[in-house]
Amino acid sequence: MRGIQLSLSKHQNLRLDRALEQLESLSSKENSDASVTVADDISVNNEDAILKGHGTTEMDGRVVATMCGVVERVNKLVYVRALRARYKPEIGDIIVGRVIEVAPKRWRLEINFSQDAVLMLSSMNLPDGIQRRRTAVDELNMRSVFEENDVLCAEVRGFQHDGCLHLQARSQKYGKLKSGQLLSVPPYLVKKRKQHFHHLDQYGVDLILGCNGFIWVGEHVEVRDDMVDDLSNKSEEQIKSWNTINDEESEETYTPLETRQHICRTANAIRVLSTLGFMITVENTIEVINLSITLNVGIHEMLGAEFYVVVAEKEAERRSLVTKRDDYQDLVA
Amino acid sequence: MVGLSVGEKNFIKGGIAQDLRTDGRKRLAYRPIHVETGVIPQASGSARVTIGATIVIASVKAELGKPHPSHPDKGKVSIFVDCSSTAEPTFEGRGSEELTAELSSALQICLLGGKSGAGAGIDLSSLSIIEGKVCWDLYIDGLVLSSDGNMLDALGAAVKAALSNTAIPKVQVSAEASADEQPEVDVGRHYIVDATLEEESQMSSAVSVSVNRHGRICGLTKRGGAGLCPSTIMDMISVAKHVSEQLINELDSVIAAAEAFDDDS
Repeated sequence: MRGIQLSLSKHQNLRLDRALEQLESLSSKENSDASVTVADDISVNNEDAILKGHGTTEMDGRVVATMCGVVERVNKLVYVRALRARYKPEIGDIIVGRVIEVAPKRWRLEINFSQDAVLMLSSMNLPDGIQRRRTAVDELNMRSVFEENDVLCAEVRGFQHDGCLHLQARSQKYGKLKSGQLLSVPPYLVKKRKQHFHHLDQYGVDLILGCNGFIWVGEHVEVRDDMVDDLSNKSEEQIKSWNTINDEESEETYTPLETRQHICRTANAIRVLSTLGFMITVENTIEVINLSITLNVGIHEMLGAEFYVVVAEKEAERRSLVTKRDDYQDLVA
Repeated sequence: MVGLSVGEKNFIKGGIAQDLRTDGRKRLAYRPIHVETGVIPQASGSARVTIGATIVIASVKAELGKPHPSHPDKGKVSIFVDCSSTAEPTFEGRGSEELTAELSSALQICLLGGKSGAGAGIDLSSLSIIEGKVCWDLYIDGLVLSSDGNMLDALGAAVKAALSNTAIPKVQVSAEASADEQPEVDVGRHYIVDATLEEESQMSSAVSVSVNRHGRICGLTKRGGAGLCPSTIMDMISVAKHVSEQLINELDSVIAAAEAFDDDS
């Protein structure tokens, strides 16, 4: 975990160090055995035909690591996975990105990766919902769908030959994100899960954990499934209202204060987790939010030094409980 | 500078209107300020100030020099600000010239006052050693390492901390000033203190008020293209005086703590 820029008093520093030490000691021994630094030997059985993957090299007949990380073995492949790597996209990942360019028949998005991702016009639902071939008029109206600096969420469809990502946003749950804030955390803190769209019911807040480290916290938006509504039943009115979602009009209707408070609390919870270097999951976030509410911490004070220390301590406590429970179950079973 | 979508801008404006900004602060609340002194051992005094993600370093070098003929009983102070390209890629080379000129002149106005030196933050006559012959020349340099909005306040606090860290024989640097900034957002005529980078990209104009310990105004700068109603400016000035009281107290305690820490280590 990188050095935190927090003004901690001496006492708080001690508490934080103690909590972090406890967390380190609790991480399983397996992990620490598999971690290597540069020029460490990787133990291989020399009889097998081992494939040397990324981060390894052969020296004097030994397989040696060339970077710091964890050794992974998959069948005959041995490679070293760095801990703080850049975002590594895979097909099916949910991504949150920002449009930086409107190009012919495509949008270019910035997604915290070494290259920009591309969202083709054909991979995007048209505003009127009809499935048809994209015409030149559609191309001219691309700006009315997404403009520069818009935030949207999409799914990775594949890779181009030069490593660029192809995205698709064909479902109703993908698309433009409004009324909220975008947070940027290190991508290795967001693991791939089954669900990346979370609706926190009790707060009315939408939480989208993009695998690329962009996290969207915003007002809840009802997602209507297009397949359910019969297209022929849609009146002209509805189609027109889709096309003219005027942002200037919605300026007058600000987010209600209570929802805004929940959004700010959630955002601060994620900021705290990311600075402490903990994994960002819905359970973690909800726990931090509940913790802040039970401790009556003001929303702004969540970013103060005291709360960081408390969160670290609680996490250490929770993990030690989990390990004890696992040990107990092992004993019983 | 970060680009924001219409929805995000709306969200920020709504937050400011409802007195709940994106990180939960009220309109007139500051982010926590972290000060370290004595970071540059070769300088006479130095300090590093962190407000949120904005990091600035100020250093003071004192040299003996000849006073200006028209002001034989006053020392000389020159302030210069540099924005490092680590803060923003656009700051490389000559990209930051406009910004540094603006920051330098704002700091000069706050700390040195008008032509006659009246109402300044630094008492220049305390820098004189032998009238007409020898005086102290103070060179104050500011360096912006990382920018997340509100660089002017961070620089002001850093200069103040650096000056209090400076040890020059027989010089008392009196009546320290601290600068307050209140950028105004167009919608609803609300103003906020200590803006983050996103909020700053939204604002139409900003007023920086420099207030000294006795509650007097040392300097006033207005930046930005939009026009402001005079009554709004008067409002902002009175709010600035109120906020700066708290800020001066906080800064004093933080600087004292930093010096104590420095002495310990």
